[in-house]
Amino acid sequence: MDKPNVMEAVQPCSGQYSWKTDLRLNRWFFVAAVIWVGDLALLKQHAEWSPLLKGTLALAPLLPGLMYVWTCVRFIRGLDELQRGIQLEAFLFAAVGTVLVGAAISTLAAQGVSLGGLNHGLGMGATVMVMFTLWLVGGAIANCRYK
Amino acid sequence: MKNKLRELRAAREWSQGDLAEKLAVSRQTINAIETEKYDPSLPLALKIGKLFRLPVEEIFET
Repeated sequence: MDKPNVMEAVQPCSGQYSWKTDLRLNRWFFVAAVIWVGDLALLKQHAEWSPLLKGTLALAPLLPGLMYVWTCVRFIRGLDELQRGIQLEAFLFAAVGTVLVGAAISTLAAQGVSLGGLNHGLGMGATVMVMFTLWLVGGAIANCRYK
Repeated sequence: MKNKLRELRAAREWSQGDLAEKLAVSRQTINAIETEKYDPSLPLALKIGKLFRLPVEEIFET
């Protein structure tokens, strides 16, 4: 029978960590991160570029981001049913939490209250960071229920 | 949901890992079913019944 994917394979120090699985799952995330960092540097240096070019560059990380989402979906499909349920709960927690945090920060920004220099909402980088953090928290909460 | 999975597994001297491998699930899933923290899906319950050659209702009871 096919072995199910296990989350421990992508969690360092879990005892079952596999860099191959980690690379297969997270490679598109790193591509997106590298493009995003490159974009930030380019856009800062070339403020004179046309809005179309700047917009294209700013949205470029979304393409590998979509590939990352697809890779995650395939990995989750390969998990066994309990792990799949735990991960879906964690992703739901992260998605709803990110929407709430984003809405709160945007509302505060509209009222002129700036949190940590976020004057125009969360932004792409901070959104990813918030979502990742909330996914870790959601996963830990869901895992505790089935320990 | 109450179940006899632990007794059935112990009778065959299988570890949770052995059973997990036979059912193609994680050891955490077997542990969660045995401790009655998780109710398996119908396909997994049927697979368990088939593995132990018992009707599902003899393994799981409400």
